[in-house]
Amino acid sequence: MNPMDELVKVEEVSRRFPLDHNFVCALDKVSLHVAAGEFLAIAGPSGSGKSTLLNLIGCIDKPTSGRILVDGVDTSKLSPDRMTTLRREKIGFVFQTFNLIPVFTAGENVEFPLLVQGVSARDRRERVAAALEGVGLTERANHRPDLLSGGERQRVAVARAIVHRPALVLADEPTANLDTRNATQLIDLMHDLNRRLGLTFIFSTHDQRLLEHTDRIVRLTDGQVVSDTLNEGVSHGQVPASRV
Amino acid sequence: MGKFLLLAFRNVFRNRRRTIMTLFVVGGGVAGLLMAGGYFAFMTHGLRESTINNGLGHLQIFTADHFRRDDVRVLDTGIENWREVAARVASAQHVRGVAPRIDFYGMVSNGTKAAGFMGSAVDPDAERSLGFVTRVVEGRDLDAKPSGEVEALVGAGLAKSMGVKVGDGLTVLAMTSDGALNGVDIQIVGIVNSGVAELDARYVRITLAAAQRLLQSDRVTNLVVGLDSTDNTDLAYSELTPRLHGMPQEMTLKKWIDLATYYKQVNTMFNGIFLFMGMIVFFMVLMSSVNTLLMAMLERTREIGTMLAMGTPRLWVVALFMVEATLLGMMGAVAGVVGGNLLGILLNASGLHLPPPPGYTVPMPFRVLHVPAQMIGASLLVIVSLALASILPAIRASRLQIAEALAHV
Repeated sequence: MNPMDELVKVEEVSRRFPLDHNFVCALDKVSLHVAAGEFLAIAGPSGSGKSTLLNLIGCIDKPTSGRILVDGVDTSKLSPDRMTTLRREKIGFVFQTFNLIPVFTAGENVEFPLLVQGVSARDRRERVAAALEGVGLTERANHRPDLLSGGERQRVAVARAIVHRPALVLADEPTANLDTRNATQLIDLMHDLNRRLGLTFIFSTHDQRLLEHTDRIVRLTDGQVVSDTLNEGVSHGQVPASRV
Repeated sequence: MGKFLLLAFRNVFRNRRRTIMTLFVVGGGVAGLLMAGGYFAFMTHGLRESTINNGLGHLQIFTADHFRRDDVRVLDTGIENWREVAARVASAQHVRGVAPRIDFYGMVSNGTKAAGFMGSAVDPDAERSLGFVTRVVEGRDLDAKPSGEVEALVGAGLAKSMGVKVGDGLTVLAMTSDGALNGVDIQIVGIVNSGVAELDARYVRITLAAAQRLLQSDRVTNLVVGLDSTDNTDLAYSELTPRLHGMPQEMTLKKWIDLATYYKQVNTMFNGIFLFMGMIVFFMVLMSSVNTLLMAMLERTREIGTMLAMGTPRLWVVALFMVEATLLGMMGAVAGVVGGNLLGILLNASGLHLPPPPGYTVPMPFRVLHVPAQMIGASLLVIVSLALASILPAIRASRLQIAEALAHV
């Protein structure tokens, strides 16, 4: 992999959590390189460290040891304010439980990251409309989350995650709360965005439906990478030939 | 900014039941303060006007030596050329009239029993023209030009202690300006009840002419000035002060507030009680709101985590909670002002009376004044209280660990 293409570089990262008078090791010296434009799944059973790894890459948690570089920036050296700025500008999040702001409409939820970035009202309108069109929810822009189906909510969450054109989209178990039809639609949507916009997607999952559509699968067990494989059945983007 | 305020506004109504409960507490506090403050304002306003109309007047003129006077020979420091002074004053703007007075002291006797009295000599016509009220509960008021005997009004308490009634006679004794003891027989034409028991136990009122005969002097102790409105006191004071310069005797002009000791005490007491009530409401709103806002913060932990994950500055989260609380305070204040005023209108219409307070003999009407300054003050109090109450939840929300907040159930 050309170092210039590297978007995420995880180097010997460990994350331990205190428990009573002891520690639980959620991640143990994990190393991982992700290129720009990849569509990558982190798979593994519950408790394997998938969410912890996503949290660390997403700069919402700090590793106990090791370092993570996002777009060439060593996140371990960033102040909390710089971390906030990095998240705001370069990362989009999709959560298992959608996490939409319930008092905002779908459009306002999508608009929120742009609001935080200080984008002008006119630009916000245009970009929100484009993002909602991209996820096929233009007509639901003025509906509040409680009036949307689970699948629609997650598509709003995806639109919110991509509206500010981040370098990286992190999705934690995005299909876990969706039925098969909605899950498949979401996977197709994310894959389409990955292909059309060149957005890098990293998501955690143990959903086989999602894994079947993934270019690359990193498997975690007990906080360690046990395999990093290309999914031969999927043809997509600039995926490196070998991983492990 | 608009969307941010919109978010805050919608968050206020997220849990309607809780918001309504908070509005009840905040609005109730404001309404309670307005009721108490409105009643105190009515009391002090009523006391002010009754103090003025009971004879204090809006302004009083004394000689400069009056406040160093001898209480026995009261007219030694009296105003000599009082008619000229009164004429100068009467022509000023806002002045409705001038009434001469002699305040004097002495002994009153019914032949078998004697008691000290506090006398007031007046020109009945001048007093009536100024609208000064004499609470005659039995008999009649003084006649300005009585045909025969010296007419007098006596306090109800004094009449009772001396065992006299309307039509009976008494003898009053006082020291003349020469230092001699002089006496005059008076005929009681009326019994007065000022409402203050201590005053009624010693009060005697006669005409100015009778008092000047008794005290053997043409002087008066003071001139009472009545204005068209109490609000013009300062204006009239400013206009009259230069007019009193250059008189043969040096004159002093006093505003009613400088002479109304009892009014000032009552006003200070009411202000103290109102301040204390304000503090109670402040802490009541503060404590209940901290709890409510903390609950709201806990319920929204995951949402706050999401906002922080998306790169929302932590200061925004602090601001969001504070704006929400301030909005809640503003709504509570509006509800309280509306509710308090409506309640005030209802109570005023009910004609409620309270029992007489200690030292008084007449029931007090319960009325509530609508005072804009109190509405603004009480509103600001609860808004500030809620804004302060939001600081702790806001800071806790802004300090949430994002990963933990996102995992919050």
